[in-house]
Amino acid sequence: MPTLTVDGREVTVDADATILDAARAAGVEVPTLCQFDGLEPWGGCRLCVVDMSQANWDDDWFKVVTACNHPAEEGMNVVTDSVRVLETRQIVLDLLLARCPETPLVQKWAREYGVLKTSYTPNPEPDDCILCGLCTRVCDHIGVSAISSINRGWGREIAPPFNEPPPDCIGCLACAEICPTDCISYTNSNTRRTIWGKEFEMLRDPRTGEAVITREQAEHFAERSGIPIAYFEKSDASKRREMAKTFERLGQLK
Amino acid sequence: MRMIFKVSVERCIACGKCELACAFAHGSEGRPAKTRINIHRRGPEIGTPVVCFQCLDAGCVKVCPTEALVRNADTGAVDMVRDRCISCRMCVAACPFGNMLWDETYHCIQKCDLCGGEPRCVPFCPTGAIAWVPVEEAAIPPQPLNREAFAFEGGA
Amino acid sequence: MRIESIDQFEALRAQARESEESRTQQIHVCCGTGCLAWGSKEVAEAFASEVAKRSLDASVELFVKSTGCHGFCERGPLVVLQPSGILYTKVKPSHVEEIVEKTLIGGEVITKLLYKDPVSEERIEKYDEIPFYLNQVRVAMRNIGRIDPTDILDAIAHGAYSGLAKALYEMTPDEVIEEVEISGQRGRGGAGFSTARKWRSCKAAPGDRRFVLCNGDEGDPGAFKDRSIMEGDPHSVLEGMIIGAYALGSHEGWIYVRDEYPLAVVNLTIAIREARKYGLLGEDIMGSGFGFDVKISRGGGAFVCGESSALMRSLEGKTGEPRAKYVHSTEKGLFDLPTVLNNVETWAGIGAIIEYGGDVFASMGTQRSKGTKAFSLVGKVKNTGLIELPMGTTLRHIIYTIGGGILNDRPFKAVQTGGPSGGCVPEELLDLPVDYEELTEAGSMMGSGGMIVMDDRTCMVDVSRFFLAFLEEESCGKCTPCREGLKQMLHLYDRIIAGEGSNEDLDLIERLARGMRLGSLCELGKSAPNPVLSTLRYFRSEYESHIADKECPAGVCRDLTAFVIIEDECDGCHACFKACPVDAIAGVVKELHVIDHEVCISCGACLDVCPTDAVRTLPKIVLKNAEVV
Repeated sequence: MPTLTVDGREVTVDADATILDAARAAGVEVPTLCQFDGLEPWGGCRLCVVDMSQANWDDDWFKVVTACNHPAEEGMNVVTDSVRVLETRQIVLDLLLARCPETPLVQKWAREYGVLKTSYTPNPEPDDCILCGLCTRVCDHIGVSAISSINRGWGREIAPPFNEPPPDCIGCLACAEICPTDCISYTNSNTRRTIWGKEFEMLRDPRTGEAVITREQAEHFAERSGIPIAYFEKSDASKRREMAKTFERLGQLK
Repeated sequence: MRMIFKVSVERCIACGKCELACAFAHGSEGRPAKTRINIHRRGPEIGTPVVCFQCLDAGCVKVCPTEALVRNADTGAVDMVRDRCISCRMCVAACPFGNMLWDETYHCIQKCDLCGGEPRCVPFCPTGAIAWVPVEEAAIPPQPLNREAFAFEGGA
Repeated sequence: MRIESIDQFEALRAQARESEESRTQQIHVCCGTGCLAWGSKEVAEAFASEVAKRSLDASVELFVKSTGCHGFCERGPLVVLQPSGILYTKVKPSHVEEIVEKTLIGGEVITKLLYKDPVSEERIEKYDEIPFYLNQVRVAMRNIGRIDPTDILDAIAHGAYSGLAKALYEMTPDEVIEEVEISGQRGRGGAGFSTARKWRSCKAAPGDRRFVLCNGDEGDPGAFKDRSIMEGDPHSVLEGMIIGAYALGSHEGWIYVRDEYPLAVVNLTIAIREARKYGLLGEDIMGSGFGFDVKISRGGGAFVCGESSALMRSLEGKTGEPRAKYVHSTEKGLFDLPTVLNNVETWAGIGAIIEYGGDVFASMGTQRSKGTKAFSLVGKVKNTGLIELPMGTTLRHIIYTIGGGILNDRPFKAVQTGGPSGGCVPEELLDLPVDYEELTEAGSMMGSGGMIVMDDRTCMVDVSRFFLAFLEEESCGKCTPCREGLKQMLHLYDRIIAGEGSNEDLDLIERLARGMRLGSLCELGKSAPNPVLSTLRYFRSEYESHIADKECPAGVCRDLTAFVIIEDECDGCHACFKACPVDAIAGVVKELHVIDHEVCISCGACLDVCPTDAVRTLPKIVLKNAEVV
């Protein structure tokens, strides 16, 4: 359980904690874009950079690292608001604002760091994708890996293989839900769901016609959890109703 | 002292106060449809409360890809960690009892988490059909309900 | 065929040496990729058929060997005759009969094929008297040019695997690491990390499976030393890796070769096959009980895959993207297991270090940079090619003594070292000794050893843009500062080069450089600002000319430069007329030629070919003002 200092405040954290965990424990806010608690850290957006000095380094020798994935270590000294850290974050946001000048999330963060308009050449065809990778990472985490990043460098984008409806996609909408800028579009009704150009048939409650998930999604999780597909078909209201009736039968109630 | 949420179905008069209390307690501004405890109404003043069983071998926990559903050691409840939820709705589908709810307006999952150890619905139940009791008392059969005594209270 | 004891190895080596010595007259034809492009394969074939013709005459004993790169790529196809040591340059198949008849049989030298020293203007016979070779000390490249890389016995005759025999039979694994530590060898891929330290930290990592990798990605534009080593002496790489594997207790390795090096892949494949045949690779190497085997993995055409963690991801079959750098690959590398990744040249040096002793290696070089280093000397220098020198040699010595000075005797401007991660070193620092720390302090970098010499017709703003454009294409795109920063840097540079830049642009460039340095995930992004910062440091006035005066002092940037022919100097030779790609020059032979500025695209071809220096550059803005007047 290492003890370290973040902006002058001492905290003790779990053995596998990151600097970000330590900062949160110390009540210090570190901005993030590509970080999500349920997923492995990625270190791509570079917004969470902080200055850190290891225990065995000279007191004035610091290194700029990303807080989201760097382990918190005993005796570490972390400074989250040094001049160079703030400048680096500002530059990251300024650059993102050039890529996504019309995206509210980017505008908001850029504004907080004093950037109202980008200093650079704005993207002539902007969209809202900040290339944080959360969508592909959650899809990998679920075990589906239907989408990935394609192309190198500035032309990088998120797409299904060959830009065609992805064969592996189960229509769980996790990518769309996790996207911080809501730039993955989908349609959803009781009968049909579409995302990434793929259409899904919904599993519908035989009594109410209500749908919660797609057949592919049910199959995917049925395989992994051992829970029979039949469980997935009913709406929660129907399930409660059945449960109530079971109680009533069991209790031989009037 | 370990506590447990005890439901005595025979004592439920389907008044719906627990539903209102739950909805208010969780910021749903009294939208009764968004309560985490649901009364299945079987007849006038007769109902069956259905609420999350905090299953020991929970289907919802098994199915969650990001470990956003975790057992709270203090309350015994299965808590939802909002920062880890990716809204994939697998838990809604997986719960066999329908106690995992999807709130489209707030665009998130709702479930009973025993309000962190002090269930807000319990004090509102006029008949004690729902109770927060020490584990030892869970098996004690409930007192039969004198329905006549309550008839005046709910009267028009 | 399998060597199963040290005695058998020594016997085989003795036999190979005898065989080599019995070939009294040898013709070494350079068949490195550079000379192959010059047509050396046909030269080698011509020699082979000429020798075959004369094989009936028992008094003539000739042996043709296709070797790896001799290094003097400027003068290819190169042929060295042994034992005389005569070097013939620019040899064509039509010269072959004469060479065999006159030189090999008749003992006479063919002057027109000899190297002519550009400084003394004299013809030099022996290759080791030519300044280009005379000053070299070849360790990693010790056998390149002397052996047929596809013949393992030739390699063994010249010392290949002798270091391995010593390591396996006379040293413990820890003693091997100690010897490497004594040598002071630092990684030759660019980062210059102590080889011994890297090996020690991998050895200390827990687990019983570890990997030994060779980085043959060599992505720096202008660098080709690794290519020459892999093509010309693949056994030196294999030997080094086996010794390293023995020291570390590893049994599996990979050589990651960039896809654009097909000959290297071919020669490495042959070498691996031969080594396995002779029991020098695989199980129970040389009967020592130690086993190690190696596979080749080809890259997919990405510079970023030369980065150590990206290379490992690529080897694993994933997209070549670097990962967080606090995870040391010596503990968690390939497949999250302890891994040592070293550069081709680093591995190539290990066999010699073990055979001759680390102290011999350490006796050369400077205090912190020991041993020798390979450099690819290219650009506006008279003798371009591949050289290996002791660390501490000055840049001046390399460029002027070995390189023979600047092409066409134009004024020297700068030398760019370290590829796209390095920087430009100006004239006042030419006496800088080549050393990791000295170059870094000067704002440049050793890098992989690329040295691009520039003259006064090089625009430093344009040079920075060139490297930025390269990196922008090669960035993997994972992290914001590199992906977005390189694109935006290019926009800013394009403005300046078009004469639309402002001083604010320079401030923005410097700020962005800071952000990329600190914010980027890997060295590609972190070192991308180096050419920018070093040219700003030493050549700021050029940037200011572009901005304030809308002038490119070097006469390179097309939007800012016009070309004119000076009446007094033009002798009407018509060369510019022929060179112009857009027919912008009017004129007849023996009369003054004139450039039409409406048509001219400012490519500078006319200036390059004019023999009387009659073509000069002029800032376009001056021309415009003159026209208005």
